[in-house]
Amino acid sequence: MKSAFVSSFAHSAAGRLLLSTAAFITLAAAFFLLIGRSPWEMLSLLAQAAVGDGFALTESLVRATPILLCALATALPARLGLISVGAEGQLYFGALVGTGFVLSATAVAGPLQLPSMLLAGMAGGAAWALVPTLLRTRLQINETISTLLINYVAALLVTWVVYGPWKNPASQGWPATAEFPENARLATYFDSRVHAGLWIGMAIAVVAHMILTRTRWGLGLDVLRSNPRAGVLAGLRFDRHALAVMLLGGALAGLAGIAETSTVQGRLQASFSNGAGFSGFLVAWLARNHCLRIVPMAFLVGALLAAGDGMQMLAQVPSSVTLVAQGLLFVAVLGTNGMLDRGAR
Amino acid sequence: MHLSLRHISKRFGATLANDDVSLDIPPGRVLALLGENGAGKSTLMKILYGMIRPDTGDVVIDGRPVRLPSPRAAMDLGIGMVFQRFSLIPALTVRENLALANPRTPWIVGSGARRVPGLLDRLRDIAPDVDPDARVSTLPVGQIQQVELAKVLNLETRLLILDEPSAVLSDAEAERLWSLVREIAARGIGVVLITHKLADVRACADDVAVMRRGKLVGRAEAADTDAPALLRMLVGDDTVATVSAEPVRRNALPRIWIRDVSADGPSGTIRDIDLRIAPGEVLGIAGVAGNGQDTLADACAGVTALRQGEVTVDGETLFAPRLEPRNHGRVAYLPEQPIRNAVGPDLSLAVNLSLRCLRSLPWMVDRKQMAKTAADLMERFDVRPPEPGRRAETLSGGNLQKLVAARELSGSPALVVACYPTMGLDVTASAAMYARLFAMAREGCAVLWISEDLDDLLRYAHRIAVLFRGRIAGVCDAGPASRTRIGAWMTGAEAFA
Repeated sequence: MKSAFVSSFAHSAAGRLLLSTAAFITLAAAFFLLIGRSPWEMLSLLAQAAVGDGFALTESLVRATPILLCALATALPARLGLISVGAEGQLYFGALVGTGFVLSATAVAGPLQLPSMLLAGMAGGAAWALVPTLLRTRLQINETISTLLINYVAALLVTWVVYGPWKNPASQGWPATAEFPENARLATYFDSRVHAGLWIGMAIAVVAHMILTRTRWGLGLDVLRSNPRAGVLAGLRFDRHALAVMLLGGALAGLAGIAETSTVQGRLQASFSNGAGFSGFLVAWLARNHCLRIVPMAFLVGALLAAGDGMQMLAQVPSSVTLVAQGLLFVAVLGTNGMLDRGAR
Repeated sequence: MHLSLRHISKRFGATLANDDVSLDIPPGRVLALLGENGAGKSTLMKILYGMIRPDTGDVVIDGRPVRLPSPRAAMDLGIGMVFQRFSLIPALTVRENLALANPRTPWIVGSGARRVPGLLDRLRDIAPDVDPDARVSTLPVGQIQQVELAKVLNLETRLLILDEPSAVLSDAEAERLWSLVREIAARGIGVVLITHKLADVRACADDVAVMRRGKLVGRAEAADTDAPALLRMLVGDDTVATVSAEPVRRNALPRIWIRDVSADGPSGTIRDIDLRIAPGEVLGIAGVAGNGQDTLADACAGVTALRQGEVTVDGETLFAPRLEPRNHGRVAYLPEQPIRNAVGPDLSLAVNLSLRCLRSLPWMVDRKQMAKTAADLMERFDVRPPEPGRRAETLSGGNLQKLVAARELSGSPALVVACYPTMGLDVTASAAMYARLFAMAREGCAVLWISEDLDDLLRYAHRIAVLFRGRIAGVCDAGPASRTRIGAWMTGAEAFA
């Protein structure tokens, strides 16, 4: 009886979180020992750098925002069984299209400029998702490979425009576009860089969760993912659903890109994403594609990454320590869940 | 090797799957372990194969108790098992699958495992038609089973357990299997045949042991028993439902016209199929597995696109080439291997039961209503356990079959396409399944019934068409007199003469 209670607790959401956290702390401590530092000191410095004061906290939120949107962009196709690694490229292309819109369409000014820029960014992200989707539905080309490879094309396109045609002549050689006008920036809060993209992302997470779990459409995704042949019996078409989830996912990643570019950085620059698309992929997997669980996971990973700079100063270690920590987090969560699921079988 | 199970008990939750079972398995004899679905025979054999540990009791080999912590340990002791649900790897070829499981396979096997000596000998014995370089995913279910058998026979087995081996074999294939099993036993190997078919006992067994509700209720030499006595032990009383189809009213207009249809499917093609089914008629499709049955069924159910021809219902075209294959609820479909072809394995029973009406559900799905509808359906069709929230993959084969029947036969279709609908069902459940199919026919439905059980086809169908190499080799009225003609068509002896 007692062991049954322990086992059912371990399999509950809270139990999984507790065990994963314990595994992460163990792994991280081992890593810090390995590099010759005191684990306790380093872990507390890490926590301090991530959420220690108001500035650290808001910077963590800023970092979490694009990761949150990119995680949703990964989770949506995953509900159909499609493993998209394309959020990174969609984010870049969304930023590119959104920026291009602002640079060219000077006619759209005033209150319309912001929403139309966001829509352009979303359209860009969706367009970048379209190619791998068509390759998959028409030619059965694996979407994981094509989304991954096409990422680099998008990132290099951005590099090209900021070094070439869109380079701001006034920036004295710095490879970036002109600054975004005030009208084309999202609202910011707390006297920090935290912007409305965070609320938008959280709202989208809630809405997406409702749609996926409560509606006929979400049920159809479940059926097609579980068994495409059963989907045919239900009169569902895989191709249409694939197009919908991939384009919606692309739009969310595109939104992340244009929000980050316009509001946080203020101009389009090369390599601006800091791997938010890939971190989003990790977050989606950590949250097992559950849209609500993505929110805290995105914050956790965002905080870890944001702590990198602080760690450099506080502990005199390279900021890449936090990248190692992110990897350890991934191993801890997936390893714990994997072992629990294996035991359950 | 003389093996005994002593006082084995195993409990799963509320059910006592094995209740103090003691069973002797002598070498060189074929023991049929007979019982209905859920009688506990599979559990008992899984204990013997090291997959399940018993709560109490011992496994004793040649007088010494042994520990069986895993199938590996059982294999090392010379215990081999062929499963009802196949364990081959679909993406690999037959040869590669055999090489994987063969302990004598060398480290370097060559391309496609073509260099392993003696690998195919057993397969050649039991299934000379199987192409060793075909991928398992492209084989029909009958042939997959044969490969599975060959795989286990390749191990140096001293006790062979066969779980429902005849369920998917045609008469001729079963004959071959039985003679092979006899041959194996003659070499001093013990064989346990898990089955619920009385015919298997007559065909092959020396001894028969009967299980009911977890208990061993009888054991006898096969020659000393007769069918009624066994049946009494099996079901516990004398009342076994008998069913029969009503004579059909042959109208001028067919309810269903499968008109000049050709189609290509993953496991075979069909060419120039022309069949008319009257309202209320049960048309049986006989034939050895792999002659296009799956493709015919898929084409008639709108799952596979037609290449040529059309399928009409009351004169209205339902499926045709370049017409989006879409089932408008006019065709009920019970495909073979429901876990692969008809359900979402990790979805709940409630969702699986509502698959057919998914598109007509309200936009916001009412899960409570869905579970309630599912519970009603499951009670009507005796799906156990009746828990709407349970995942489909946790159901036994027989209950999955009933689950799909509950979904497909609860509407008002014009055509029922049923592939091996009683596969995995015991005597009582089979009778219930037939009763439902014929009830559909009585209401004016056309029934296309694909089976490899010629006895059942001859007994219950109105007419029988034989598929051979993707074409109709012949059609005749069902009746005992047709048996030899059908046999000739099935083997191609009279091919298109």
